[in-house]
Formats: sequence, C-alpha cells, structure tokens
Amino acid sequence: MENRKVISGQITAIANLRWQMFVNGLRSKRGKMELVSRILVTSAFALGGFGGFAAATGMSWYFVSHGNTAFLAIPLWSVLFFWQVFPVMANAFTNNPDSSELLRFPLTYRSYFLVRLAYGLADPASALGSVALLGVLIGATTARPALFPWACVVLVTFALFNLVLMQTIFAWIERWLAQRRTREIMGVLFILVTLSFQLIGPLIQHITHGSHPKLLRDLSILARVQSVLPPGLAADSIAQADSGNFFVGFTSLLFLATLTVAIGFFLHLRIRAQFRGENLNETAARPATRQVLPMQLGWHVPGFSQSVAAVFEKEVRYLSRSGPMLLTLIMPIFMLLIIRIGPMSALRHSGAMNRTPDTAFPGAAAYGLLILTNLVYNTFGGDSGGMQFFYASPVQFRHIILGKNLTHAAVLALTTIFAWFAVTYLYGAPHVAVTIATIAGLLFAAPLNFTAGNLLSIYSPKKRDFSTFGRQNVSQTTVLASMGLQVVIVGFGVVIFAIARLYKNLWIASALFLLLAVISIPIYIVVLRRMDRLVVERREMLLAELCRA
Amino acid sequence: MSVAPTVSTERLTRRFGDLVAVDDVNLRVAPGQFFGFLGPNGAGKSTTIKMLTGLLAPSSGKIEILGLDLDAHPVEVKRQIGVVPEGMALFGRLTGAEFLSFAGRMYGLDRETAAKRAAELLEFMQLADQPKKLVTDYSHGMQKKLAMAAAVIHGPKVLFLDEPFEGVDAIAAGTLKSLLQRMIARGATIFLTSHVLEIVERLCSHVAIIHQGRLVAQGSLEELRAGVQAQGPAALPGDGVPPGERLTLEEIFLHIVGGTRRNEQELSWLG
Repeated sequence: MENRKVISGQITAIANLRWQMFVNGLRSKRGKMELVSRILVTSAFALGGFGGFAAATGMSWYFVSHGNTAFLAIPLWSVLFFWQVFPVMANAFTNNPDSSELLRFPLTYRSYFLVRLAYGLADPASALGSVALLGVLIGATTARPALFPWACVVLVTFALFNLVLMQTIFAWIERWLAQRRTREIMGVLFILVTLSFQLIGPLIQHITHGSHPKLLRDLSILARVQSVLPPGLAADSIAQADSGNFFVGFTSLLFLATLTVAIGFFLHLRIRAQFRGENLNETAARPATRQVLPMQLGWHVPGFSQSVAAVFEKEVRYLSRSGPMLLTLIMPIFMLLIIRIGPMSALRHSGAMNRTPDTAFPGAAAYGLLILTNLVYNTFGGDSGGMQFFYASPVQFRHIILGKNLTHAAVLALTTIFAWFAVTYLYGAPHVAVTIATIAGLLFAAPLNFTAGNLLSIYSPKKRDFSTFGRQNVSQTTVLASMGLQVVIVGFGVVIFAIARLYKNLWIASALFLLLAVISIPIYIVVLRRMDRLVVERREMLLAELCRA
Repeated sequence: MSVAPTVSTERLTRRFGDLVAVDDVNLRVAPGQFFGFLGPNGAGKSTTIKMLTGLLAPSSGKIEILGLDLDAHPVEVKRQIGVVPEGMALFGRLTGAEFLSFAGRMYGLDRETAAKRAAELLEFMQLADQPKKLVTDYSHGMQKKLAMAAAVIHGPKVLFLDEPFEGVDAIAAGTLKSLLQRMIARGATIFLTSHVLEIVERLCSHVAIIHQGRLVAQGSLEELRAGVQAQGPAALPGDGVPPGERLTLEEIFLHIVGGTRRNEQELSWLG
C-alpha cells in the first residue's frame, strides 16, 4: 500500500515536472513560437487523425453490417502498419523524451516502466492510432451495438499491443545502433532484407498471374497466416463474438494478450538494462598493451579552405558514428522497396504506371532531400558544447556553415546516386531527361533548403543526441517551416513536370529547374554571407540551448 | 613607462534583465602575468570570462586584448588567444586526436602541423594510449586535459581558463599546471578563474576579486596582502594572523568578500 502511494506520488511528480517544463518554456518568445507551431502541427495531425477515424469508422461499419466482421483485420492491419512504421519513417514527429534522466531519483522499476509507456502514449503515432481504433469501435458497434463491451476489450488490448511493440522496436533499434559491432550486424541484416525483397516481386507476379483457383488458394493461405497475427487475432476475436462463439473469441483475445506480454518481456529486458544504468558507449575495453595509431592527417577538400575542410571532416565523422542518422539516410531506398512491393507493384503490372522509374527516381530524390532536413534544419544540434568552440575559434561562421552544408550536399549526392541505382535495379532505368531534370530540381531545391535550414538552425536550435533514435526534442517551429517549404518545392516540381509532360518534352523541366536554381543559389550565397552577423546576434540563445547539460 | 596591458576592460558591464551580473569592471592584465580571477559563486567570474572570449556580448563597456578592440576585431583577437570555457567546448563524437587536429586547423595550422602537434599534446597530456576512444567516453579529467590541449595547440599569446582544475584529480592537475607553467615561461599571459584558492596562490602572480558583479580588489598577491594587513588585526578573520606569518589567499579572499555564519537551527532535520 505504502509502495503504491510512493509510485503514484512519483508518477504525479513526473507529470508535474513535464507540465512545469512546458509552462517555463513559454517564458521566452521562442517558447511561445514553439507553442504556436505545435498547435499548428497538432491541428494538421488532428486532420489526418480525423481522416483515419472516418475511414476506420466507415470501413468497420461496412464490414460488420455486411456480415464480414473478420474483415476488420483490414483496418486493424492499417493501424498496426501506421503505428509502427510512422515513428521510424518520420521521427521528427515523434515525441518520446529521454526518460533515463529520471534514473537519478529513487524511482521504482515499475514506475520507470510505466513512465516509458506513458511517454509512448503521448507519441503522435499512438494518438492517431488510438483515434483510428476508436473509429473501428464506433463503426463496428454502430452496425452491431451488442458487440460494444467485447470489441472494447479487444481493441484496448490491441492498442496496448501496438504501444508496447512501438516502444520495443525503438528501444531495440537504439540498442543495436548504439554500438559498432551490433550496428554492423544490423547493416548486414538490412542488406539481406533488401536482397530478399527481390523475391517478393516474382512472388507477387506469381500470385497475380496465376489461375483463378490458385489465386484464391494463395489468398486463403495469406488469410490464415494473418489470422494468427495480432490484427487478425483482434478481428477474429470480435468476429467470433459476433457469431456467438465467445469461447473461440476469448481464445483469440488471450492469444493477443499473450503476444502483448511476450513483446512486453522484450521491452522489459531493455528497460531493465537502462534502469540498471546501462552505458552504451562505443569504447572498447582498455587494451592490455598500449595502442598507438600512426599520425593521421586531416582531410583535404580541393577548392575549400582548411577550416571548411576541417568542418566537413568533422561532420562526416559525426555522421559515420551515428547509427540512427545513417539509418535515417538510407530511408529513401527503404521507401522504394516498400513502394515496390506495395501498391506500385500491382499498378505496374496492370500497366497503369508503365513508366514507374520516371516517377520513382524524382520521388526518391525528393524524399532523400526531405530526410536530410533532419540534419540541415538543426545543423548545430549535434555540436552541443562544441558550439562554444566555434564561437571561440577565429573562423567566420559562414565558413563553418559552408563546411556543414558541403557535408549535406555530399550526403544528398550520395543518396541520389544510390536512389538512381535502386530505381534502376527495382524498376528499370529512368529516362535520361528525367534523371537530368531531377538533378536540376535538386540544384534548385537544395540551396533553398540549406538557406532555410541555416536560418532555422540559428533561430530555433535544439540540442541533438546522435546516439539515440526517436527521442530527439525537435523544434516544432522548424518542423512546420520545413514542411511548408517542402510543400512549396514539391508544388513547383509537380507544376514543372506537368508543364513538361504537357509539351511532351521532359527537357523543359530541366531548363525550368535550372532557371529556378539560378535564383535559389544566389539567395543561398547572400544569406550565407549574413550568417556571421546573425550567429553573433543569437549567440546567447544558441549557447544556452546547445550547451546545456 | 607603463607596459600596455594584454587584457584590459573599461567599464565592462553585463545585465540580464534587472540583474547586473558584471558592473563597471576595469581590469588590467599585463603581458606575461599569471592572473587569477576570483569571486564567490554567482559573483560574475564566468560572465566576465565569457565576455573576454567573445562568448557573450557586453551590455556596455570596452574590451581590449593584445591592444585590439574585441568588438571591432573579433577574428584577429581569437586567432591569438586560447580558451577553455566552462563547458569545455568539446566535440564528443570525435577521438582525441581528431578533435585536436580539427582544433589546430580551425586555428589556421596546416594539416601536417596540426596532426603533429595533436600527437605531441596527446602524449604530453597522457591521453595517447587509447587513440580510438571517443571524447564523449573520456572521464571528466581527461576531457579537461583535452580541452586545455585544444586551447594551446596554436600557441596562443593569451590563455583564458574558466575553472580549469574543477573536478580534476591530483595527477591531471599536475599535468595541467606543468603545461601552464611552460606557457608562462614562454611569455604567454594566463587568465584563469578558480575556486581552488591554494592553486591560485601557488600559480598566480596577480589576482582580481569580483563580488556581486563589482571588482573589489586587483593587484599582485603582495599588494592585496599589504592592503588587508594595513587595515589592522581587527579587520582580519578569526583571531587575526600570528606574528611572522603571512596572510593566505583564502584569508585575504574571506576578508574582502566576507561571509555569513548560518544559524545552527536551520536544516535541523539533517541530524
């Protein structure tokens, strides 16, 4: 009893702490701007959430009222996919603060575990997923009101499963990316998964081009497989209850709950390790013999000064030591794979999109740029205390920022090249005109993003921890501004490609993009030249934010 | 003829809203001095050193380093000074050698010189035996030594150190002191803040004391000692100083800054 009182006191104290941090954050102008941005971003999410809610409600009502309650698996699979994939794909939107700071207090393990789950519940993916599940509940019970209590229990269990799974995925990805050896193993696994995706194309072709009875047989196998997985189990449990087979329905629910507990056990392993003060540094054990490395010269970057080359080298080294960041950067290729095995596959085989490479390559390049905004829009975020070094050094900030942008450009170039090869491998080579137009498009879009990113890095910085995944405290102002700029840039791209297609000459797109690049590059240069003054003007805020412990 | 100061401030003031953290401070540090800047917590030491190194803008007043106005010539000044600020200004995800080589190049050294000096400094600071270790995994003392190495890699004429001995063990402190004494022997000027008065007394030739944002004493240790003793035994802390013994810096400091005795009834629950 006493223990329970202590735990509830601790959880209340943590809730108060977060509230007080939020209120104190509003004291500054920047804090107020953050709040406005957060409201706007939340509104956008709410709109998306409403869409998901409406779709889930409609679909569930339709399935249940037409006697196909087991088909509830379809919206439930969508919810699962969104809940688990969205936070990984767009971790700028995740809201998963670092709870390990709480470990200095005499927190019980149970409190710590619950706090971790509560933090996960505050994540947008969890919120939107829960709203969609509410839609499923309303849709299903509108069609069959008697299902309400049972559907309620099942869907809450399913929500809990998703919550626990998401936290487990994050915790383990972070664990694997934290150390060099496990990171390398994960890299190899990623390549293996990438290669195995190649089998899916022929498999889909095999299924869709097979005879009708064979297709039905394959689909029934697929249905059986999914029925033992969580969305299938949840749907089956409701369907069985709907048919009066409560015992079978209960068995499915029990199975789902068991899976939740099993996944929760893996989460428990991670959280317990953190609770016990796990240190995931990359240091090898102290060698018995003295290790001396030969003197290593810094990098030389032709055409750039010593200081720019030094910053470039430092940035590349930082990136190469950040597993989470590297994972983010290969996301465009991952997306291509997902699209390849997803809806595009069917469309492609139906002939509806017989020039998929021409869409996929610009899409992947644009996504690459979008992903890069994580770095570009908070360019000093990872420097932390090193920001003091920059201020104390006799190097003008324009050169420091140029070095950083040079790294961003190099990463973008690499991602684009990889994307081109991936598209060629998966879909076939894109047209030369499309390739050139995409590169021209990047020449227009990248300087604009770098310009906006440099400004926002100064006006709205956030300290970043390169070693964690999805626990970054991203500035909502930055997220909003970045989203706005991407919408404008993509809008330009769509209009330009539409004009080019209208005139049946894709080279027009290249010409138009290059024309826009002639405008965006000087804008970048002008703003870069003003960086010295801006950075000095904002030094107190930048140092206070980036150098805090 | 008086020598032009290496570091001088004129009516240096810094306000944070209503709080005047540094109030009208006029500092003079002559070339080659080992200068200790003392004060109780919150007196304005770190704020002053931040202003002197360009990490914080003064609200008013003027700073000259090596005869150059810091506001007008920040890059020229920074090229000639070395800084170990409060937060140590390190890049955690580089190795020690990478960071020092990076620092050297940022201070204008060519690649070869930067790499050579980085290796020598790591050796001197006894940080060379784990070359693959990232700075973030260094102990606090190792980080202090590395920050100091980065501050001196370009051979600065003036070195600003904010609490260089805080959290450093005796061995690391010995290494740091040895480096600083070499710098002084070479003719450099060192400006340091510290709470460890014994170290300041042993190392510094000149001292300034700041209290509640105002400079309350400045001069050589002897000058400060003479000033306090001139006020007579009644002005000294405790029972005064036995005949034939010199005032320690701690006694001088306590005399100038003062202190309050807490009520023994306070925090009685502590036992």
